[in-house]
Amino acid sequence: MDKTQNMNAAQFDVIVVGSGITGGWAAKELTEAGLKVLLLERGRAIEHQQDYETEMKAPWDMPFRGEGDAALYARDHAVQSLNRHFTEFTQGHFVNDAQNPYQTGPDTAFTWFRSYQLGGRSLTWGRQSYRWSDYDFGANKRDGHGTDWPIRYADLAPWYDKVEDFIGVSGAAEGLPQLPDGKFQPPFALNVVEQAVRERISAQWPERRLTIGRTANLTQEKDGRGLCQSRSICARGCSYGAYFSTQSSTLPAARATGNLTLITDAAVEHLDYDPKTRRVTGVRWIDSKTKTRSSASARMVFLNAGAFNSVHLLLNSASEAMPHGLAGSSGVLGTHIMDHANTLSAAAIMPGFEAWTSFGNRPTGVVIPRYRNMDVMDGAGHTRGFSFQGGALQSTWTAGKREAGLGADFKRRLQKPGPWRMVLVAFADCVPRATNRLTLDRTRSDSNGIPQLRIDFAFGAEENAALAQAKADAAEMLTKAGGKVMFGFDRPGAGGTAIHEMGGARMGHDPAASVLNKWSQAHDVANLFVTDGAQMSSSACQNPSLTYMALTARAAAHAAALLKSGAL
Amino acid sequence: MTGWSRRSFIAAATLVALQAAAPGGAAVLGKLDPADAPTPQRRKLLRMVADHVIPSTETAGAGAVGTGDFVLVALAHGLDGTRRPPRSDLAADPAISPFLRSDGSLDHAAWLDARLGPGWLALPPARRHAQLAALDAAAFARDPTADPWRAIKGLILTGYYTSEVGGSKELHYELVPGRFDPKVPVTPATRAYSSDWTAVDFG
Repeated sequence: MDKTQNMNAAQFDVIVVGSGITGGWAAKELTEAGLKVLLLERGRAIEHQQDYETEMKAPWDMPFRGEGDAALYARDHAVQSLNRHFTEFTQGHFVNDAQNPYQTGPDTAFTWFRSYQLGGRSLTWGRQSYRWSDYDFGANKRDGHGTDWPIRYADLAPWYDKVEDFIGVSGAAEGLPQLPDGKFQPPFALNVVEQAVRERISAQWPERRLTIGRTANLTQEKDGRGLCQSRSICARGCSYGAYFSTQSSTLPAARATGNLTLITDAAVEHLDYDPKTRRVTGVRWIDSKTKTRSSASARMVFLNAGAFNSVHLLLNSASEAMPHGLAGSSGVLGTHIMDHANTLSAAAIMPGFEAWTSFGNRPTGVVIPRYRNMDVMDGAGHTRGFSFQGGALQSTWTAGKREAGLGADFKRRLQKPGPWRMVLVAFADCVPRATNRLTLDRTRSDSNGIPQLRIDFAFGAEENAALAQAKADAAEMLTKAGGKVMFGFDRPGAGGTAIHEMGGARMGHDPAASVLNKWSQAHDVANLFVTDGAQMSSSACQNPSLTYMALTARAAAHAAALLKSGAL
Repeated sequence: MTGWSRRSFIAAATLVALQAAAPGGAAVLGKLDPADAPTPQRRKLLRMVADHVIPSTETAGAGAVGTGDFVLVALAHGLDGTRRPPRSDLAADPAISPFLRSDGSLDHAAWLDARLGPGWLALPPARRHAQLAALDAAAFARDPTADPWRAIKGLILTGYYTSEVGGSKELHYELVPGRFDPKVPVTPATRAYSSDWTAVDFG
């Protein structure tokens, strides 16, 4: 049973802050190592299956038919409603922007998508699960941007194995050095258009490989979790447990150990630091409902609040001994934040497949992994990579909104699946820059009296050049594959659009130039670990969550060993 | 049974069923701000317009499933951006400006009422249809953002295809497909899926 009594006198081995993708992993690994763990989650409790309130509802069951109340969204969800997974069905899995404000610099456009609830964004994530390669871990060293990663692929490979084994990732092995294969469940199939496009692209460009997305949706039953039902409504919550979330996977494992204490509605405001021992001694939090304050102590703290919120907490935990923020002696705390530069590179009509359709809603699209700036530097004005995600789809009734016509003939036309189209969306590596940073806005506080986070962020020439090349490449590939390109873009969406915000407490060799060492452990504070996206030193061009999980599992094993050996 | 009588039978049966379950739009119509609450005449107008866009065929038309009321609610709440003030050049257009609310947004229903004219509801069906078809053709021949009709029509489609009849009788609806088949032959019986969420979002 979860304990909710006053924690003021309690002593834990570890306090984990945040219950999302990495917090769940930290709780699982640390409790399974025999440690007593307090897991603090700022949002409400959402229990697996019983609290997925809209999961089985149809549009006609909803007050605004699934589209949602635009007036409400303009008032309370101005940012979150821009998320493609935000609908009337899922709005309860995203924050209220009016109640959770943040600030941006004058030249910054940043959409910060957040989910404050048990499970965090593990409930709403896109589930794309990719290994990073040495092209990625070596990127900073090669081109001089940012600081060198203190790890390489070999350090993480066994941890990727462990994570994939547990969460279940479906995908196709392709033998590509830039996107290492994992331990996959059987892949979802390419549809008839995607299969043809794969073959036509490979015939022209053997180094470019269109493959099915590697997704944390089960195609084989696993540990009591059911098969993906091809609904593609994952962000409502999945009672089958068919995609990886804290609720479906890591939380049950952590609870099963008997070593977990979970408190929800606990917004951590401060980490306490003892300058004599150079250790963090505990955390303080505010009950989101009652506004009462509590604290707990522990031998070790894992920060997993989400990249920007973990940095926010470190900045807000500044002290006389650490005036730039906890673990901030290097001066780089809050700096070098990133998000993939993301845009729709090409959309094309794909004629010739009218005799075919598909059935079911596959929970993943396709991916064309990076193929530029690997062993040959062939980027036009950029030194890193971009990859594409997308897929082929047929239109349905919403296409009628763009068409003239009314009456019975119009209705009959909309009864049939529309023409096949294919879209390629680019994700470009985001160069780490000191000027892209998080700070505290001391002139504005949130409802708990904590200074709001301020985001200063801009993409630069590297990302713009990558997206320009991505647009040209995407159009060329779809044209060669028989498509008729309708449009495409070469400028990124606002920062945060990719929902891969990361960095701010980067990992590095040098304590004077980085916040964390190669074990995700603070250089300044030996019993503090930051294992969410904040630790990232570069962004690569593939989705980062699998890497966050692998780094968390690796850090947890190291931390548990240190604790047991008496080194902490 | 002939096609005509079969259609009529199905449509009539549908209407009986609908009387038991109030259409979704009506459920929140009563909660509108008094300034947005429509008159009976306006409700009749939107119901009739919706039925001309999506008429009764083998399945009930948009009017019978409450789409008119849904559109009025949707317009009041600003779905599809309909409470955002129009561009300044459009706001200054004498065909638009009389229908701007105090917050700068356009009262689409009032605009449509005036655009169709006071006698439209009393016209014979064929003439009503012809006038609306002309309005539709003109709107789609223009700048996509310039004509308020496009937003109204869009919300009619939303109202219909997210209703139980439009979503699960006119189109297929399968919340739990259970599998993904990548290559399925198209036949005369093939229908689009209203539960193909990617197609709904990006189609």
